[in-house]
Amino acid sequence: MLQLVVGQLLNGIIVGTLYAIIALGVTLTFGITGIVNFALGAFMMLGAYVTWYLSDGAGVAYPIAVPLAVACIALLGLLVDQALFRFTRNNLINGLIVSIGLISVLVAVVLMIWTTTPQNMHYVLPGVFRVGGVIVPKMKAVVFVVLLLVILFTYGALTRTWAGRAAYAYAQKPEAAALMGVRTGVLQAGVAAYAAGLAGLGGGLYASLYSITPEIGSAYILKGVEAAILAGIGSIMGSFVGGIIIGVAEGVGSIFLPSAYNDAYGLVLLVLILLFKPAGLFANR
Amino acid sequence: MKHLLWIPLLAVPFVVHDNVVLTILVFTFIAGILAVSFNLVFGFTGQLSLFHAAAFGLSAYATYLSMIHLGISFWLGMIVGVLFVTLISVVIGAICFRFNLRELYFAIVTLAFSELIRLVILNWNSFTNGSLGINFTLTPTLWVPGRGVIPVTGTLMWYYLSLVAVALAVFGYSRIVHSWMGRCFASIRLNDELADTLGIDVFRYKLVSFVAGNIGAAIAGSLYSFYISYIDPNYFSLDQSLAIIAMALLGGREFVAAPIVGALVLTALPHVINVNAEARLLIYGLILILTILLMPRGIVGLLARQRRAA
Amino acid sequence: MRQLSRSIGFIVVSIALASWTAAAGAQNVVKIGEIEAQTGPLNTYGWMSSQGMRMAVDEINKAGGFHVAGKTYKLELINPDTQGNPQQAVIQLKKMLEEDKVKYVFGPFLTNIFKGIEGYAKQHDGQFLLMGGATQIHYELGKPGNDYLMRTWNWDAGASGFGTLMVEYLRKKGVKKVAMLMQNDAFGHVAADIYREAFKSAGIGFEENWFEPGTKDYSAVLAKISAGKPDYLFPGYTDAVLYDIVQQATQLGLTKFWLVRGSLGPALKNKDYIDDYVAYIPKYFEEAEKSEPKVAKFIGDYKAFFKTKDFPYDQAPLCSSSCYDHVFMLVEAMKRAGTVDDVAKVKAALEGFTYDGLWKIRYDKTGEEIFNFDIVDVQKGGKISVTHEQPK
Repeated sequence: MLQLVVGQLLNGIIVGTLYAIIALGVTLTFGITGIVNFALGAFMMLGAYVTWYLSDGAGVAYPIAVPLAVACIALLGLLVDQALFRFTRNNLINGLIVSIGLISVLVAVVLMIWTTTPQNMHYVLPGVFRVGGVIVPKMKAVVFVVLLLVILFTYGALTRTWAGRAAYAYAQKPEAAALMGVRTGVLQAGVAAYAAGLAGLGGGLYASLYSITPEIGSAYILKGVEAAILAGIGSIMGSFVGGIIIGVAEGVGSIFLPSAYNDAYGLVLLVLILLFKPAGLFANR
Repeated sequence: MKHLLWIPLLAVPFVVHDNVVLTILVFTFIAGILAVSFNLVFGFTGQLSLFHAAAFGLSAYATYLSMIHLGISFWLGMIVGVLFVTLISVVIGAICFRFNLRELYFAIVTLAFSELIRLVILNWNSFTNGSLGINFTLTPTLWVPGRGVIPVTGTLMWYYLSLVAVALAVFGYSRIVHSWMGRCFASIRLNDELADTLGIDVFRYKLVSFVAGNIGAAIAGSLYSFYISYIDPNYFSLDQSLAIIAMALLGGREFVAAPIVGALVLTALPHVINVNAEARLLIYGLILILTILLMPRGIVGLLARQRRAA
Repeated sequence: MRQLSRSIGFIVVSIALASWTAAAGAQNVVKIGEIEAQTGPLNTYGWMSSQGMRMAVDEINKAGGFHVAGKTYKLELINPDTQGNPQQAVIQLKKMLEEDKVKYVFGPFLTNIFKGIEGYAKQHDGQFLLMGGATQIHYELGKPGNDYLMRTWNWDAGASGFGTLMVEYLRKKGVKKVAMLMQNDAFGHVAADIYREAFKSAGIGFEENWFEPGTKDYSAVLAKISAGKPDYLFPGYTDAVLYDIVQQATQLGLTKFWLVRGSLGPALKNKDYIDDYVAYIPKYFEEAEKSEPKVAKFIGDYKAFFKTKDFPYDQAPLCSSSCYDHVFMLVEAMKRAGTVDDVAKVKAALEGFTYDGLWKIRYDKTGEEIFNFDIVDVQKGGKISVTHEQPK
């Protein structure tokens, strides 16, 4: 039993980091552009498909395919931002609906090209780590480390670089930041691209662990939004912790309760947080 | 003027004998009730509720299950469905609005509740038959002078039933919107904090709007499920909620009856243009994007503006 | 004025011509319908059915049609795409029965479509035949008022059930305990009900575990299962979940799999990590191509008809339901019954003989299909052995 719980704790942390990377994208987008972009889930799905296509279809080595895919998705995020979301800044409802429409468009395109048949990437790093009876697949450990590094990098970039602090300033007081010389248009476009890139990275790593279908994005964006709200929209390290909380809750919960309730943990946590601590657990603004 | 539009609709079955077209119209009218009632909450009060599909499904299940277990007629069953949905709406609405959830958070929490309810229905196999859904063995009945009690079967009867239902819905919501309550809704939509300072009880009116909208969804749910004689947990899916939003956006948010146009387009489109499922998904996404960005007033809004300009 | 009368004249003549040709056409054409999801997320079965039926109809018509009671008939296939949407399917079925006057409809395979159209279809009992593969149809066969219904897929349980024979295959291997990991949905529960009984009768221990459709990470439930050390894992019923389950199961030390749905794909992808993978495949086309002339011809015809170099080996086994053979079998039944309109006679004829095409097909007395199938066993490294089963 202890083995099961520890195993699920570890697995929950790893799976939670995938939620966290999406949550990070959600939180950045909301902080700087004032909308929640549900299409980040679709970007993640596209990141997975592009990575798979490059690696299995075009023969590109996986460690190169992923950054390439991230760049592609970031570019797509930028284009979409300039074409569509530029007109829905700070308008939550419009932004929400446009992003939902965008999801349908992106999923439809993927369906047309690759159909609904699940695709499986070749095994990049098969094999498992055995730690005292607890089994952790090697690739999952790699994914965890990579995502953690990216999250820490993002945190560092936001707190220590000029561009990052400009972003923080803008998030807190847009008019003042503009007066101080922060080019808001460029900032917003940059954040949109970065958030899309994060989602694409999540997708590229996801492809090495699981089979991919056009629907994988929807579960992740929901969990990503849950994690972001749980932690408090605007908190970077908070999204990381929020993602982990949801991942662990699901993993450990499924040992004791029937699988039917898996999705419910995130939802219930979300409702409770929004009712009692709407600013989130780590509200710092 | 616009009231006269209903008259030709009454005459349609005498001119059009094509059962297929009439069936599409029945689905349109029922979807119209859904879209119009949603628009009360979304278009007029400015709250994006993702609970509408849940109200739709809950009433369907409540109506049928109460008929089976309590042996009552369809109309009483529908009242049970409506009452049940009203009760749940009051509870959920009170929770949301008491805690002052706005905009995005309101949408997400209503979605969360909708999903939780779907999970319950999906897994309560003994009562709801879970994912298998329920095939109805009962039909609504009508008392007709001269013929007594007859079952409502066949496209023609359903056509008139659904037409009357949607007309009543439009009439009812129109009364609400044009009353002082409707003006409170409008002020909440424009700026709820300001409305609060002006002395409008924002909590109460948001709640009333939410409940009134869900009642429409409940009625639609009872009708739809009995028309197709089948319910399953897909009634509660997010896709269903999104389809309702699309109808309201496409038709137009400003006029009470405008969403029916959206319902017509989305219901009839797959049968008029033969595109495969993927293309349809693409078109659907484009509709959502383009109506928000280019046609925010919907089809009816666009036509109204052109008429005024001309 | 002349313009107007000329236009009217033109219209009148066109209408007369159109109705005359339509009437003339109607004499020599038997319309058959197909109501399946050809596109969309649930289209796996519908797509293959559609491919096979189109080929069959074309082949029959190219050979000059068929003769019944002294007249020659051609076939016309009406196959709208339900896209997995019950509301659409109802409208399409109405159009088929009321406007096109179709009497023989193949499909649906999807249970939700069947449940959506059932109410309407029942109202037309006696006027047409609905021959579909949906699981739920099995429970409706033989009930009063359901003469219109037939099922074009085999059933797991019963004496001729393929599931029964698959369980027997396991029992002969000396298996003592099987752990099931199944989707928590309608079909999953049907499968659990069937196999709970089957394993009990065979004296094999049976443990039930569930997961939600849409799950990707099975580590929690697989860890639980692995702790119980079962001999074989009986995983979910679609390829979509099988790839992930098999991969993650092998990581946790579960290496033997037994299943009654899905393709060999997951086995072949994980061939270095599995020990044994026993699958039910209606026909293992890769092998049948070499050993059965009819199959080889079918594959050649498929490539020619659809102008492609690829044959869908993965989906072809699904052609055992509402597909190529079934059109020929229907035509044969009409010949034996001596009528194309009397659906009761045609149904009786269908139930009265065995059709020998790609499969040997017959219908039992409730109207459910029985056909021969393969049990394919993949071992570590990818070695494949095939057992052919012919139910009695």
